[in-house]
Amino acid sequence: MTAPPPSLAEVELRDVRRALASSGLLLDVGAARLHVRGDSQALARQLGAVYRCFPWQPGGGEAADVHVVLHQARGLRRWWRPQVVLRIDGAYPFEPFPADSPLPLLEWGCNWLIGRRLNDLLLLHAGAVERDGAALLLPAMPGSGKSTLTAALSLRGWRLLSDEFGAVDPTTGLVQPLLKPVALKNASIEVIRGLSREAVIGPAFPKTRKGTVAHLAPDARAVAARGIGARPVAVVLPRWERGSPTRWEPVSPSQAFSALAFNAFNYNLLGEVGFRTALRLARRCTAWRLVYSDLDDALAQLDRVWPGLVAGAVHGPQA
Amino acid sequence: MAAFGLAEGALLEPVGELWAAFSPLSGETLLLNDTGAAILEILAEGPRSPAAVVDQLSEDSGQDAGVLGPLVTDCWNTLVNAGLVCPVDAPRSATASP
Repeated sequence: MTAPPPSLAEVELRDVRRALASSGLLLDVGAARLHVRGDSQALARQLGAVYRCFPWQPGGGEAADVHVVLHQARGLRRWWRPQVVLRIDGAYPFEPFPADSPLPLLEWGCNWLIGRRLNDLLLLHAGAVERDGAALLLPAMPGSGKSTLTAALSLRGWRLLSDEFGAVDPTTGLVQPLLKPVALKNASIEVIRGLSREAVIGPAFPKTRKGTVAHLAPDARAVAARGIGARPVAVVLPRWERGSPTRWEPVSPSQAFSALAFNAFNYNLLGEVGFRTALRLARRCTAWRLVYSDLDDALAQLDRVWPGLVAGAVHGPQA
Repeated sequence: MAAFGLAEGALLEPVGELWAAFSPLSGETLLLNDTGAAILEILAEGPRSPAAVVDQLSEDSGQDAGVLGPLVTDCWNTLVNAGLVCPVDAPRSATASP
């Protein structure tokens, strides 16, 4: 029997650096495979921190859906202001980042590519977590607390499927994992750090266009199950509101349809397939708006109602 | 008066208290109330002028055509701009599924 490959955290840093600088590294995130190469000095350590539980797969470019190269910016300015740039298919679609910050550039670049290339799936702009074999979707606008709630759930027994993409297979209706580190911003970094001693959070990157960003590493259980989809049963539209008691407001199927379809990355591109997939979700899932300020209370209420929801026995937290 | 029909391949499906309509011609999706959905259902039976749609709606619902006229006018342009309703010389068919 062949032993499973070591995880990225178990591999010597110099080996990761060497692979990145030569044949690259394959990151299998479930519904997509990312191939990363580059000579950025900081990249190996940062990847090792937030993809720590992912298997070590050097090379593998031929099997990838997305190819990116991160390299040090050329030119005279590299001597007094070193930068890193992201190359995709020979083009540089993003502004350079400081040389010590390749990870946020890599994450944004890969998400951007996934959102454009994985058109066999309906890619909702949503967090997604699983428990008891059923998936909860958390579609939301930026700044609504989607990532914070997704991260918090993943630290309280829920399996992380994705922070950014609710990837729904139009054929099976299952939500497929697109398992990448959860991008936490500003105050939510310390909120999540304080929530669980199990939280493994990578380095903080200040002064990005979204403020300070740090990434929560997916845990070993989520990584091991990244090939397993889950049946969606509920949609929660989170909204963090200072001082608000936890409040659940029912959302109609038509509102759920709007929240799912009109915020999806590729809804328009998929045409009728996207329409029918979003429609099926809106009809089958129970949906609420969750307004909260106390994260622990919101998590506890969701935990209590979930078994009944999965069994189809209740229709909401106040049912 | 010019006749209009349902765009070829247009889909109409109930979603909760509203209706979701999709036009493959434009790629657009609209959420419609009952009036908008009823217009599409009538046009799925065959091309009609806006006035004939109002008459048919009046006959079906028992409401006064004078009341229904402004309601139809309100959503007509939206349906045309979304590519759900087209002049009859454009491709069309009847595939709405109420």
